[in-house]
Amino acid sequence: MTGRAEDAAVQVAGLRMSFGSAEVLRGVDFDVRYGEVFCLLGPNGAGKTTTLEILEGFRVPSAGRVRVLGLDPAAQPVKLRERAGMVLQECGFPRQARVAELIGLWRTYYRDPRPLGELLEVVELTEVRNVQVRKLSGGQRRRLDFALALAGDPDLIFLDEPTTGFDPEARRRCWAAIENLRGLGKTILLTTHYLDEAERLADRIAILRAGRIELAGTLTEIATRAGLATRISFTTPPALLRRQVPPPDGIELACRGTASVCHTPNAAGTLRLLLAWAAEHGLGDLDGLAVTAPRLEEAYLSLTAAPGLSRDPA
Amino acid sequence: MTRTIRLAARQALLEQRSFWRSAEYALFTLAFPLMILLLIGAANTGAHLPGTGIKNTTVFVPGILAFGVIVAAYVNLGSKVAVLRHDGVLKRIRTTPLPPRAYIAGLLASTVVTAITITAATGLIGWLAFGAAPRRGQVPALAGALVLGTVCFAVLGLAVSAVITSAESAGPVAYASFLPIAIISGVFDPTFSGLPDWLSRLVAAFPVKSLAEVLQNTYAVRPFSAWDLADLGAWTAAGAAFAVWRFRWHT
Repeated sequence: MTGRAEDAAVQVAGLRMSFGSAEVLRGVDFDVRYGEVFCLLGPNGAGKTTTLEILEGFRVPSAGRVRVLGLDPAAQPVKLRERAGMVLQECGFPRQARVAELIGLWRTYYRDPRPLGELLEVVELTEVRNVQVRKLSGGQRRRLDFALALAGDPDLIFLDEPTTGFDPEARRRCWAAIENLRGLGKTILLTTHYLDEAERLADRIAILRAGRIELAGTLTEIATRAGLATRISFTTPPALLRRQVPPPDGIELACRGTASVCHTPNAAGTLRLLLAWAAEHGLGDLDGLAVTAPRLEEAYLSLTAAPGLSRDPA
Repeated sequence: MTRTIRLAARQALLEQRSFWRSAEYALFTLAFPLMILLLIGAANTGAHLPGTGIKNTTVFVPGILAFGVIVAAYVNLGSKVAVLRHDGVLKRIRTTPLPPRAYIAGLLASTVVTAITITAATGLIGWLAFGAAPRRGQVPALAGALVLGTVCFAVLGLAVSAVITSAESAGPVAYASFLPIAIISGVFDPTFSGLPDWLSRLVAAFPVKSLAEVLQNTYAVRPFSAWDLADLGAWTAAGAAFAVWRFRWHT
């Protein structure tokens, strides 16, 4: 059975994991589709790494069904490692090895490796290819992690908290590298506790808290379920201020000084109504018209109202 | 099989390059046995073993050969694997499809190269400085004993790496666990004697003295028994069993 025969790259159903009497995962379900960036978002201790370690074949779950590229990770770890790249949270390098030398060695571990030059380029390490690993910065090391995970040209890449502890510049370059991986058509499953990282990188997000998936879907789906609406705002036309024109029908418009704001779950419909109203009353294109999608942070906070997640590494 | 060998060779190549790139590490690994060879050797020139015509240095040089083998195989490999584990390098290897036996074989092959370098330098300097050379026709036996000793102590190095809990303690634990035994085994002093009976019997049970005696016998006719070979074999087997039992890829 090959992975392509299944419709999802990763399938997790009813996953449970206990360490002694501590139940870390209490029935986790999610699927990762081929070609998408899927983000497992949650506070520290939610069970993200444990989930990943099970998917990588390092741990045998207490219960549940797991398929990765159509394989059972615990039973076929070597087959899986041939096709899945893994970036663990903390993993060292041989200190005296040089960048290109190490990637070159890693390429020999796989039957059908990606060309060395390409690997260096994807993670933007071409300039430091002859530098010893111990002299690299934290961000560069992380990108070397990516290159090693990519050496075998895997279909799927696991990234466990790829930017934890990085400064903003290093994070941006890591994000760029991850977006390069996406550009290669790789399926990516990443964990993070940064909301902005999930928002920036993920096609779909699953929020994991205390061993359970609380919510999963695209950003819009999550926002809708959180009851968050798209915000539409524009400069209040003077005619409306002077009550020379009636407010639009069917829209709850709040005039705050010179700005008018409304919230709607249906941005397109509301915009249509609004523009028709403006045309009818000769208000033109509505100055300062802005449509703002809800942020993951608002959605998350309104759903959980719980601490544990951070927006920035600072 | 050929793939495993190729992969092991690549691994060994990286290990050797890393070893020589870290200049102080390589220098001191090499220099330590050579320094002891020259300093203590110089103090022994002209002296003979009591009641024999054998020069002290003729027995002392192969003792330092044993010492060099132990530094290369036991100390270096043992502390290296402990550091690799502590740094998470072993864990990273587990994320790849590389067969574990190819990785371990690569580490062992690199250790053999280091051991050959050290013993060749020791043997050469011992010959040039003190005129100590293997007995006629004993070179194959010497080479065989060096191989056996390297394998034995490399396996023991893997075994000890499993009980070292931190990178910082790796070197000290590796040295402290054999230097005292090496001293009372007479590796540094061919005339060393006067141990209580029970202690000298205990010391004889350790592989340090056994390896030294096997090597010394290729330089001068010495009391040599099959016991030494059996002892090395037993330690190799025990070390391998322990390493297989306790070896971990992560801390």
